[in-house]
Amino acid sequence: MDHAVSERLFLRRRITNWLALVLSGGAAIIGLFFLSWILFTTLSKGIDGLSLAMFTEMTPPPGAPIGEGGLLNAIFGSIVMCTLAVMMAAPVGIAAGTFLAEYANFRKIGSVIRFVNDILLSAPSIVLGLFVYMVLIGAPRQVATVIQNSDAGQNNWLAGLANWLIDISGFSGFAGAVALGFIVLPVVVRTTDEMLRLVPTQMREAALSLGIPQWKVTTQVLYRAAMSGILTGVMLGLARISGETAPLLFTAFNNSFWNADLGEPMANLPVTVYQFAMSPFENWQLLAWAGAFLITCFVLLVSVLARSLLLRKKMSHD
Amino acid sequence: MTNVSISLQTTLAAGEPAAAAPAKMVAKNLNFYYGDFRALIDINLTVPEHRVTALIGPSGCGKSTLLRIFNKIYAVYPNQRAEGEIILDGANLLDPKYPLNRLRSKVGMVFQKPVPFPMSIYDNVAYGISHYEKLGRADMEVRVEQALRQGALWDEVKDKLKQSALGLSGGQQQRLCIARAVALKPEVILFDEPTSALDPIATGKIEQLIAELKQEFTILIVTHNMQQAARCSDFTAFMYLGELVEHGVTQQIFTKPSKQQTEDYITGRFG
Amino acid sequence: MGTSNEHIVKSFDNELVRINVEITRMGEMALGQIEAAIDVLQRRDSKAAERVTLNDDAIDELERTISNDVLRVLALRQPMARDLREVYAALRIASDIERIGDYASNVAKRSKVLNQSALVAPARSIPALAELASELLAEALDAYAQRDADRALTMRDRDAELDAAYTSLFRELLTYMAEDPKQITPCTHLLFMAKNIERIGDHATNIAENTWFLVHGEPMSGSREKADKTSE
Repeated sequence: MDHAVSERLFLRRRITNWLALVLSGGAAIIGLFFLSWILFTTLSKGIDGLSLAMFTEMTPPPGAPIGEGGLLNAIFGSIVMCTLAVMMAAPVGIAAGTFLAEYANFRKIGSVIRFVNDILLSAPSIVLGLFVYMVLIGAPRQVATVIQNSDAGQNNWLAGLANWLIDISGFSGFAGAVALGFIVLPVVVRTTDEMLRLVPTQMREAALSLGIPQWKVTTQVLYRAAMSGILTGVMLGLARISGETAPLLFTAFNNSFWNADLGEPMANLPVTVYQFAMSPFENWQLLAWAGAFLITCFVLLVSVLARSLLLRKKMSHD
Repeated sequence: MTNVSISLQTTLAAGEPAAAAPAKMVAKNLNFYYGDFRALIDINLTVPEHRVTALIGPSGCGKSTLLRIFNKIYAVYPNQRAEGEIILDGANLLDPKYPLNRLRSKVGMVFQKPVPFPMSIYDNVAYGISHYEKLGRADMEVRVEQALRQGALWDEVKDKLKQSALGLSGGQQQRLCIARAVALKPEVILFDEPTSALDPIATGKIEQLIAELKQEFTILIVTHNMQQAARCSDFTAFMYLGELVEHGVTQQIFTKPSKQQTEDYITGRFG
Repeated sequence: MGTSNEHIVKSFDNELVRINVEITRMGEMALGQIEAAIDVLQRRDSKAAERVTLNDDAIDELERTISNDVLRVLALRQPMARDLREVYAALRIASDIERIGDYASNVAKRSKVLNQSALVAPARSIPALAELASELLAEALDAYAQRDADRALTMRDRDAELDAAYTSLFRELLTYMAEDPKQITPCTHLLFMAKNIERIGDHATNIAENTWFLVHGEPMSGSREKADKTSE
């Protein structure tokens, strides 16, 4: 082989390599740049609003002096709804993921379910919010109206039903939790499915060949092996819903006052931030920044925790 | 019945210990299908008691498939089915009425890749036992120790029983899997290429273990390493393309096989 | 499917071929030694006798080479079945040919001694005996080269001829010695030479038996007829 030719080829490869390195590094830097800009802005704007009062006082009326009032009801509402959403969606999601990985893995039904799940995963959150509104708020009201306007509606029992329907329909913390739950659900299903499928087949077979029945194998062996992955999925779902605003707009709406009743509109951080940021009142704007900062921190914390959990488990393997 | 003396192709005198052993498991007219594909064709195999029988053959010949029929692990997968009979102690294992967990308690299996459960070493062994028997703490400890001794692992782990099994080396993990299988006191142990993921020293320890285990159990081992089959086994069966080509005393198969195919495979002239 | 007679690893075949070539060479050398010994006898050429002794070193060297090659194949290749029988037989046959070479050399050495005295009548029979032994050896080596077990069997049975010829020569020499005590020394040498030649025949039958084992994997059946009646 001609030395000169090979030298040229080698040089060309080195240049291409260097170019690729620079471009991909540049892309990473751009991404990091904007991320740090967001964090910095949020921090600097929000730090002024940060104070102990944020965690102890309710949202103030508009135009109140700065420093008065906090975000307690919003924080409380977010915590309650997120927790409820996860508590409702995680068991269902884990069960569905288990079904996919263990029983439907090689069958057609499995790919159908996975496909539908992926659609749900990428559904716009506002659509989910509208859907929950329809089911839990809009539809009951419509049914109630229909009953009341019909002749049969004069019947005691039906009238009572109509009244109850009107009662339960309305913005509520419960509806908010349900909407958030629908966002968490496909994340957990997907992660559980993937994590369980990562467990080597031979571990399954080894447990089965000891004579252990399938359900025990799944719960006592496979879950243990995939636990960190499944938990990560749940935590990622939680991180995702802590900042979701659109679904809550149609379901929990917001509340300027303290409310611990799930049947009533419940205050929450994202909608509060939305409301306060759009207002012309300075104290509200400051609180909005503080709230945004809180949300960002929380999401960051949960993500980091989830990753470290996964990493720790990985490193303990042989 | 099943206590049939083996008269395989052999020129060894009747006094030769390897030649005379009653049959523990007999496979009759066994056929196996992956969907429509017939992977095993009319297999008739006798597995003698308290002996090591090795299954050898090129890849794709069906030896692992055959092994996995003996503890019905294929039943987990929807498209796989077996036809024929396997007689163990007078009963047909493939009969749908044969209780699966009784089968699994009589026939244990050790896999190619060591797969300890994500639990402590003690729990790994106790897990299987606790499914079948309700033992008090003291009794269970005795059983676990017994199993670990049989698995030639006790001395190395007796001080760290509560530690995770995942911290052991590859060879130790495999011996743990063996201990886990023998803890159930099965009658037959199936080995699916047990040392192909291990280094020579760990391999040697496992082969020594197999030689000790055969005094109590009947052993069927699949291996793609012919020298291992030559070292470890009393009987060897050569398979090719789903058929059992030849089956005999190991020494004979490796010095004077009766089928040309067997000879070609053993001497490395295949293909 | 496709079975071929070639190893997947070509160098294994090469090693087996090499051992085969070495054995063939050794056999040829041994045959040459016997011929040279006969020559020494018939022409009473002492110089030729010395050459025979020297050549024997070459045969010994070859035997060591073959042993080494067989050991290497056993250690490095783990031969099985037929391959195993091949190298095993090669080892045994090399040993037999080496002994044959020694015997031929002994015959030549004794001829040298014999040449110092006058020719004795029974000495005429020795070349014929040696020719027969040479023929048997050639037959055994051929059977090995062709891996022809039946031919090996036939050859083994022919050893009876050699044994019978030896027996009659033995008796002749005894008679001669009894009649003329002054001829005891040369006759004793002749006795030893005849015995050496008969032993060549026995080793040739060993080669034949090893060939049979190589092909069939079982020892040759039946014991050969030992027509050496001198010890009866």
